[in-house]
Amino acid sequence: MSLIAKDAPGQQVLLMGNEAIARGAVEAGVKVCAAYPGNPSSEIIGSLAQVGEDLGIYVEWSVNEKVALEISAAASFAGLRGLTAMKQNGLNVASDFLLNLNLSGTKGGLVVVVCDDPSALSSSNEEDSRAYAKLGDLPLLEPSTFQEAKDMTKWAFELSEELGIPCMLRSVTRVSHARGNVKLGEIPKDVREPHFDTTHPIIPLPVAWTHRSLHDKLAKCRERFETSSFNIYQGPEKPELLVVTCGSSWLYVREAVHNLGLEDRVGVVKLGTTWPLPGDFLRRHLKRAARILFVEEVDPFLEENVKAFCAENGDELGMKTFLGKASGDMPDIGEMNPDIVTETLKRIFRVSYEPRPSEYAQNATQIALQHAPMRQLGFCAGCPHRATYWAVKNALAMDGRDGFVLGDIGCYTLGIAPAGFSQVKTFHAMGSGTGLANGFGQLERFGFHQPIIAVCGDSTFYHAAVPALINAQYNRADFLMLILDNSATSMTGFQPHPGTGRTAMGQEAPVVDIEGLCRALGAHVEAVDPFQVTETTHTIYRLLQKGKGLRVLVVRRECALVRGKREGKLFQVRVDQQRCIGIDCGCNRLCTRVFKCPGLVWDPETGKARVDEAICTGCGVCAEICPSSAIIKEVA
Amino acid sequence: MAENRGLQALEANVIQKDLCAFCGACLSLCPYLRSWGGRWVKLHDCDLAEGRCYAYCPRTELDLDAIHSGLLGGPYEDLAMGPFRRVVMAQCTDPQVRQRAQTGGVVSALMSLALDAGWIDAAVLTRRGEDQLPEGYLVRKREEVLICAGSSYVAAPTLEALNRGPWNGDERIGVVAIPCQVQALAKMRLSALERKTPIDRIALIVGLFCTWALTYRPFMEFVRIRVQGVPIQKMDITPPPERLLKVHTHGDVWNIPLDEIRSFIPPTCGVCLDMTSEWADLSVGTVEGMEGWNTVVVRTERGEELFERAEKEGLLEIRQLPEANFQHLRDASLLKKRRALKALQERGELATGYLKLSQEAVQRILEDGTEAES
Repeated sequence: MSLIAKDAPGQQVLLMGNEAIARGAVEAGVKVCAAYPGNPSSEIIGSLAQVGEDLGIYVEWSVNEKVALEISAAASFAGLRGLTAMKQNGLNVASDFLLNLNLSGTKGGLVVVVCDDPSALSSSNEEDSRAYAKLGDLPLLEPSTFQEAKDMTKWAFELSEELGIPCMLRSVTRVSHARGNVKLGEIPKDVREPHFDTTHPIIPLPVAWTHRSLHDKLAKCRERFETSSFNIYQGPEKPELLVVTCGSSWLYVREAVHNLGLEDRVGVVKLGTTWPLPGDFLRRHLKRAARILFVEEVDPFLEENVKAFCAENGDELGMKTFLGKASGDMPDIGEMNPDIVTETLKRIFRVSYEPRPSEYAQNATQIALQHAPMRQLGFCAGCPHRATYWAVKNALAMDGRDGFVLGDIGCYTLGIAPAGFSQVKTFHAMGSGTGLANGFGQLERFGFHQPIIAVCGDSTFYHAAVPALINAQYNRADFLMLILDNSATSMTGFQPHPGTGRTAMGQEAPVVDIEGLCRALGAHVEAVDPFQVTETTHTIYRLLQKGKGLRVLVVRRECALVRGKREGKLFQVRVDQQRCIGIDCGCNRLCTRVFKCPGLVWDPETGKARVDEAICTGCGVCAEICPSSAIIKEVA
Repeated sequence: MAENRGLQALEANVIQKDLCAFCGACLSLCPYLRSWGGRWVKLHDCDLAEGRCYAYCPRTELDLDAIHSGLLGGPYEDLAMGPFRRVVMAQCTDPQVRQRAQTGGVVSALMSLALDAGWIDAAVLTRRGEDQLPEGYLVRKREEVLICAGSSYVAAPTLEALNRGPWNGDERIGVVAIPCQVQALAKMRLSALERKTPIDRIALIVGLFCTWALTYRPFMEFVRIRVQGVPIQKMDITPPPERLLKVHTHGDVWNIPLDEIRSFIPPTCGVCLDMTSEWADLSVGTVEGMEGWNTVVVRTERGEELFERAEKEGLLEIRQLPEANFQHLRDASLLKKRRALKALQERGELATGYLKLSQEAVQRILEDGTEAES
């Protein structure tokens, strides 16, 4: 049984931050959990899905974050507790509903978990989603530790239910994806019966009243925050410098202060409730010092709000010197870490500290370069996207009108890199390749003649491409849509989606037919197997030549990892060393230099290519592209 | 760093300078270059320092002396129309062939005979495919030769079919080619690079006279508009004084003055020095003012042998070419050379460009036959 379902109050277990959040929801008696996968948030719903059936929790992967929030909100409206989890981009998708839901209010506890990705380690953007809490007048909690991740989540439900508004919990990658000890609490046994009170519609109108009411709720929230044990001060009575911090930055500050031996000179205010600010708590501690340093990820959220607070309370708090992102003392983008905080404190206190020899980093890099294989950002061996982009590249070259590809978010985003032959020229949000294609597809009237290809994955298709396709059909936008259907949400961990025939909880589900849906729009629809490279190339070429309007090509081949795990290699692939002509004119290492599947390696000693048995997934595509027919595929 | 003599140089010195003759010599030798829809297409970058694409291209380093001495021995002396044994006029005796052919049917007759008599096992010809798109076409039977009869007027990557095969390893091969392709074949035969294509088994090259070949895509777009989108069945160019492009559609003939299509002649034809396919075994063209007859320039021993056999078997009727026609041919050939040299001069490439020809020879061409200029 998964640890998050373990009924052992008081026991300490090792949990990933996202599991701790899930456990907090379990301890709060959550009944409905819905999300669209997005790192670093995916494991929250992923782990709940595993225990949902046992614990009587409904868990689903929804088509997008807005729908997921709506599903959780419906549970709340019926008096149950609901949770949704998303990455920062997801909150943008859900925000339209969220910024009405704040006014309409909720019933059962509703928690919106947002996992931000500072430095965009697995994201297209860097975004501080805390701004939404202020924008929407919503309570905001920020855990620093794994224990807090669990405890805050549980409290967030209580808070939400008491106030009648959703409560936001903001995690970051280093909280969500690291592991630590968590002391378990009780799993409630009470059963609530869902019911929607039809005498009280839940609507954001009249706004003059609901907005007033929201502010009143927030004022009440502030009172709760004043006494929260998630807000703490550590340090001397009168420190020389007061650090105001939150989230995982608190841990970096503690480490830096400790390493520099500044415990007697630096005081640290750690806030777990970051919006609305707990004014009395802050007032008490801001009095301690005239110099204040802010340490947080990503934007100066605390920094600006605390500054405003100090201005409002100037009579009492007096003049302050603020150090942080605005003053240039802290980086204003990216993740924090102990080194960054250490450097800043060293500068402020003019102390020297050398945690390691200065040449250490350089040496480490050198050693790593000697032993780590050279690798580019790339597709897995046997990835169908490589074959697809190969076909796209060839078709666009054959077409010769300087056509290009508009991409969006998924494994296939790597089409921007040499692994995808650098075919993708734009990518932004989910489905935005299709939206941009709508726009480019209207430019012919101004003399634009470059062919347009939009790509989106199967999961992205359901998430965000469908409205754009409807628009394309309606407004007669002229482009070719490639739906790269690998039958999985691969980038975030192979979560099921409406095309996979399975739900988050492992039940069979009807498959939402991509071709059927597109045909119903009135689009011209075809389907190909990207492993049939020549056929795919010619189909793409033909569809590029074909008249005007929306054309849809479903390029379907299951993710190599999903298939590989289930059934092993499709083909046994080897390179005939006699036939391989290597760098000779007529090949020049097409497979290892241009096609670049990691399953093929170049052996400089023999001057031939060979197959890396451990990596090759046996897709057999390289056998089709080899000009010397030296790559042999045999049924495995 | 050594000078690149591969695809990078081909792109820089030929493609980017708009000098590609689209002869097909560089295509399908590798997975990087191919023809598609009447265009030279590069699918991927290749960084080889030396490649056959560059070595075979007729617009990279054309050394006429080296070709002559390599193929025939001795220096390149007849600056007007290359080495030849005799020039005559001929026509195919079979009226059915003549009807299908552009003029006298000599090329069709010779290729059919070569295949029939086992002189060659296969021939690389040019046929017009869908939408009048010309392409190299491999034939192994005489019946297939007539499919390819008639001129195309559009540059065809014929030699791609030679590169692509498929070959079974022992066929003797005949090729019908226009001058840029004949130059490429000469460079192929003399190239020191390793051969993966059956160059050494080329047993016959029949060259065609050529003054230019149009660029497919823009030309066809123009024609399609002129014939109002009606499907095109056939195109002909009528000789002076009419000078018309006749486009045959179903039941209609559309006349387009030749001057209107001149803009579709690619710049590369303007720097080509060869009108008569000088490195072929036999070169065949029209005879000015004599419909149904071909001029035949017999150049090599094996060309002579085949030609004599065709006459002996009664497949060809051969007559002496009137002196005036011979002179006219010579003048026209020289005129093309002179224009090409001037074009190269204007492009600033006479000294640095692809052509390797002695200064003395250049002078002789520029000064010779000035009367024909008019």
